[in-house]
Parts: sequence; C-alpha cells; structure tokens
Amino acid sequence: MPALKRLVAAAMLAALCASVPALAAQNPPPKVEEYVPISQLPPEDQLPAAPLLIAAYSFVMIVFFLYVVSLSRRLTNVQRDVDRLGATLKQTSKS
Amino acid sequence: MPKWFFRAAIVCGVMFVASPFVIASADYESTMGLVQKIFYYHMPSAWMFLTSGIVCGVASVRFLMTGDPRHDRLAWAAAEMAVVFGVVTLVTGPLWARKSWGTFWIWDARTTSSLVQWMVAWAYLILRRYGGPGSEKLAAGLALFGTANTAFIYVSVNYWRTIHPPTSVVPKLPFTMGFPLWFCVASFALLFVLLLRMRVRLEEQRATLDSLYLSMDDAR
Repeated sequence: MPALKRLVAAAMLAALCASVPALAAQNPPPKVEEYVPISQLPPEDQLPAAPLLIAAYSFVMIVFFLYVVSLSRRLTNVQRDVDRLGATLKQTSKS
Repeated sequence: MPKWFFRAAIVCGVMFVASPFVIASADYESTMGLVQKIFYYHMPSAWMFLTSGIVCGVASVRFLMTGDPRHDRLAWAAAEMAVVFGVVTLVTGPLWARKSWGTFWIWDARTTSSLVQWMVAWAYLILRRYGGPGSEKLAAGLALFGTANTAFIYVSVNYWRTIHPPTSVVPKLPFTMGFPLWFCVASFALLFVLLLRMRVRLEEQRATLDSLYLSMDDAR
C-alpha cells in the first residue's frame, strides 16, 4: 500500500508539473502601469530602425547608379575609339 | 545594344521605382520590425552575388576547355558583377544586423565565406587588370575556387552554428512577405542580366579595338 501511495503522489506531482507551463501560458501579459521613455532603455534597444533602413536602401541605389554611370562612360569611350580608329583605317586603305 | 535591352531597361527601372511601395505593403516581422525590411534588397542582391560567382566559374571552365574568348569575356563581366552585388550584400547585411543582432558583424561561416568570395572576385579583377599576358588562364583557375565557395556560402547557415537566418526561411514566407521578396528578386535578376550584358558589350568593343590596332600595324 505504501508503494501505491507513493505512486499516486508521484503521478499527482507529475501532473502538477506538467500543468505549470499551461497555466503560465494562460496568464495574461503584465499590465502596463507606466510609459517608459525610449531614452531609459538600454543603449542596444534605443537604436532606431529607420535610419538603418534608409541608409541601406540609399546605399543600394547609389552603388547601382554609380556603376551604371561608370559602365556607360567606359562604353562610350571605347566606342568613340573604335569609330575613330575605323575611320582612320578606311582613310589609310583609300590612300 | 539589341532592341530587347532598352525595353528590359525600362521595365527594370519601373520595377525599381515600384519596389519601395511593394516593400512598404509587406507585413512587419514580429521580432525585428521595420529593420527587417532591409531583407527585401539584401537577399536578392546576395542571390545575384552567388549567381555571379557561378556564371564566372562556369564561363571560366568553358574558356579553359575551349579557349573561346567569348567565355573569357563573360567570366570577366561576371566577376565585376560579383564585386558590385557583393558590396551591396556586405553593406546591407551589417546595417540590418546592427539592429537585430546588436552588432554590425560576426565572424560566422556565412559572413566570413561571403567576404572571402568578394575578395576572390576582387582578386580576379586585379589579376586581369595587372596580370599581363596569360593572366586570363590564371584568373580562370581562381574563378573555380570562387564557384566552389558559392555552394559553401549557401549551405553554411544550415550546418554551422550561427544567428544568421537559415535557408528554410524563404520557402516558409507568407504571401504578404513572399510577394515583395519575389518581386525584388525579379527586379535584381533583371538588373543583373542588363548589367552583365552591358559589361560583356564593353569587353567585345575592347576586343574590336585591339583588332583594329593590329590592323593598323599591319597596314603600316
């Protein structure tokens, strides 16, 4: 019988332990009693997201714009040299 | 340049103008909030960064096997794409990380191998610029290391301990976040094709210029 009592006690204890997370999950979030200014948060939590987002998107646009300008200029210069040299060759072959 | 190029350039421009509005309509991520929206430019640029490495490697192998200069031009152009899309990836990632991880950089497998990949692309370009005659074959060999690294970069987040999001995040995205992502992926893919075509065109014109100089020498 003592063994049965111990078994029942252990089962009840296990059931209690298992129900703790479920009970905790049912608890509502703590009520906000006061508003906390962002300046009172730790420094890592104060960092605003918008400047980082704007910086990222601006950087992407600037990089691609500069690259397209650079590529266009290089293409124009080479094309000009090709045209000039082609014209010179034609004149040389005529003369 | 071919006719399709200009039409595609207009479509690409419209897509990039529209992309901030599409991204603004995306749901906020529950833990990271606003800063997570960097993802919509960071991830497509990272994919194009890896694609550049693969294109460069495949073109280099074909150049080494056939000796066809067209493959060499494509490899050179792709290496430059890797540098451009790589810098976008390596700058936007830390800006996102600063808010969500609390630090700009961590030396985990993904970020470190991405940095190595970017440096390999730079090494390729420096070798082509200053290596002199024969450098194209040395550079092609270097490109193979870069291509092998792309696979490592992709799977690294699944095998090594890191706080970088794993590859399983993208297939599980809900429509409200998935649509803006795939819209941006399409925009970046189109931009990649257009820039690659322009860069290949530059190499073609340089080859024409070289042949013209040789013709002039022969004429003299």
